[in-house]
Amino acid sequence: MERLKTLCELPGVSGREDAVREYIIGQIEDKAEVTVDRMGNVIAFVKGRKRAVKKVMADAHMDEVGFYITYITNDGLLKFNAIGMNVSVILGRRVKIGNVAGVIGMKPVHMLKEDAKDKMPEADSLYIDIGVSSREEAETLVSQGDCAVFDEGYEVLGDLVVSKALDDRVGCWALIDIISSEPEYDFYATFSVKEEVGFGARTAAYAVDPEFAVVLESTTAADIAGVEGEKRVCKVSGGAAISFMDNGTLYEKKLLDQVLTLAKEKGIPCQLKSAVAGANNAAGIHRTRCGVRTVAMSVPCRYIHSAASVASLDDVRAVRNLAEATINKMASGEIE
Amino acid sequence: MHKADEIGLTKRLYFNDGHEGSTLFGGIMDIKNVLKNLCEADYMGGVGNALAVAEKYLSQYATVRRSAYNVIGKMEGKSQSAILLDAHIDEIGMMVVAVTDDGFVKVTASGGIDYRMLAGMKVKIYGKETVTGVFCSVPPHLRGGDKSVPKLDELYIDTGLSEKAKDVVSVGDRVMFKQTFQELQGDFVTAKALDDRAGVAVLLRVAEILNGKELPRDVYFLFSDQEETTEAGAMTKTFELGPEEAIVVDVTFGNAPDIASDKAGVLGKGAMIGVSPSLDVNMCDSLKAVAKEKGILHQIEVMGRKTGTNADVMASVGSGVKCSLVSVPLRNMHTPVEVVNTNDIESAADIIAEYILSKM
Repeated sequence: MERLKTLCELPGVSGREDAVREYIIGQIEDKAEVTVDRMGNVIAFVKGRKRAVKKVMADAHMDEVGFYITYITNDGLLKFNAIGMNVSVILGRRVKIGNVAGVIGMKPVHMLKEDAKDKMPEADSLYIDIGVSSREEAETLVSQGDCAVFDEGYEVLGDLVVSKALDDRVGCWALIDIISSEPEYDFYATFSVKEEVGFGARTAAYAVDPEFAVVLESTTAADIAGVEGEKRVCKVSGGAAISFMDNGTLYEKKLLDQVLTLAKEKGIPCQLKSAVAGANNAAGIHRTRCGVRTVAMSVPCRYIHSAASVASLDDVRAVRNLAEATINKMASGEIE
Repeated sequence: MHKADEIGLTKRLYFNDGHEGSTLFGGIMDIKNVLKNLCEADYMGGVGNALAVAEKYLSQYATVRRSAYNVIGKMEGKSQSAILLDAHIDEIGMMVVAVTDDGFVKVTASGGIDYRMLAGMKVKIYGKETVTGVFCSVPPHLRGGDKSVPKLDELYIDTGLSEKAKDVVSVGDRVMFKQTFQELQGDFVTAKALDDRAGVAVLLRVAEILNGKELPRDVYFLFSDQEETTEAGAMTKTFELGPEEAIVVDVTFGNAPDIASDKAGVLGKGAMIGVSPSLDVNMCDSLKAVAKEKGILHQIEVMGRKTGTNADVMASVGSGVKCSLVSVPLRNMHTPVEVVNTNDIESAADIIAEYILSKM
């Protein structure tokens, strides 16, 4: 899983996926015909042992949550806009703007009035401190419009793993791994940009013009103490999470049923999500051109969109295996 | 609050290029490296390695012993009367109060912790093995519009161990923030536990400066336990050592946009000499005079009542100890991203060393 660690630790805020794109192209360029579209999506035609009867596209997004530097104060502090996160998961965190380290500071608890202790600070009151005292000094290192990511590595957490950017480097990992294992059928793999801001893989899907699409994602798991029943959404170590509906897509029942049957036949653990929440690139892909029959399979991920999201490698493998089986089934023309 | 330039000290003493000597006294101590080793070693409530790290550094210059979970060092002087230098070695942390069947851990705070920042925060749990944990965070869309901030006793820590957690983690285990040391720009650095490992670093630098010099009186170094909870370490060890005077070195609030400038020191503008009714006025005046005379960059910190440091309890130990306070300004106190400027550590050490040497 060294490749997953490398992928997670690369910086790639939405719209600034360059480092991730470069790494992924390096991993697959000898195994696929790779192009990059105008948006920055990587589109790879992967030649299998057999010719596809139906054209299939499998997508994972390269971007992660992070920060855009919006303004530099006279004191050299960096104001920012957080992409995909609320205040509760960014207070007291360390970030990196390229090689420049910084911290998101907060007023000491000793100085808070009693009622302020139970209130989150306003997002626009926060700043990144890189250890300079003036705007001039800051501007030699950082510019408005630069991006910051969490300064967090990848590590083992009990039977699970914890890292920034598991969303959606787990999907990228799975796609690279499928490409690297001599696939049965021809298919298109897309590594897309700007998912976290809702742009999705629309232009990639337009270019590929597929009949079927498989979206490899990560999704909220709230199987934690204090959360019960359907609010848990899905369970870490419970297998690939399949949505029948989310905030961007109503998935096709007939297709979904065939994927669930396939998982059962192949003995790949999977589970249905128990809440309608979030959205992913399926939203853009399934409405492209005359429509694309799309299914999404996700790695359940606790504390998604934070510096420390937690997932199970067994689930990552389940998503990889189910995606591979689904691609083959679709490409073979066996899906009704 | 008086800033250095207001009292005629505009010269920045410490240059990174070393052109005029990196410090007033010269020396070899790499403060950043010392801070890295001190901060990355944890310590609270008898658990962690920071005592051993501090002890090892101090033993290069002083005769060192442990007393309970405190480190005491002594450098002999001409007179039997003694001055005690204190910095606390403990950091804020938590203790386990419950482990659920599915492996989630509940904790209580030892020291002031701002629970607003805990969602998704990494910690180290000192169980049968030391394991990583992550504070659980319930996504906003699953909280049904509830925007309240969960308090510490409503939060759980995820160990990733499921039902095996109970084999590793037990009630009473210590929990500390998991964070590495990181250099920022120039002389700014960030880490957890700079409160008060920055103070420990000051005392180590004092010991290095005093090393080999003739001392007017005995100098005790105390790295004290339990400042963040009960101040028991400083209280009992001050009684044991019976000094005439004491200088406490702790951190204080550093400048930040949401803090009024009269309530914070400016990082990089020198250590802060404390003025407070709970401190000895003559000692404070002497420290100020030494700093001014020797041209050591410093700031003044006026505290109307108590200081919120070990000095508050040490002053009334036994038949009384004259206490003063030298502080390092620090941002984001009690978070895993505390920030200090190493010039302020050098400044604090220079003021204290000059004060000790001036009392011949």
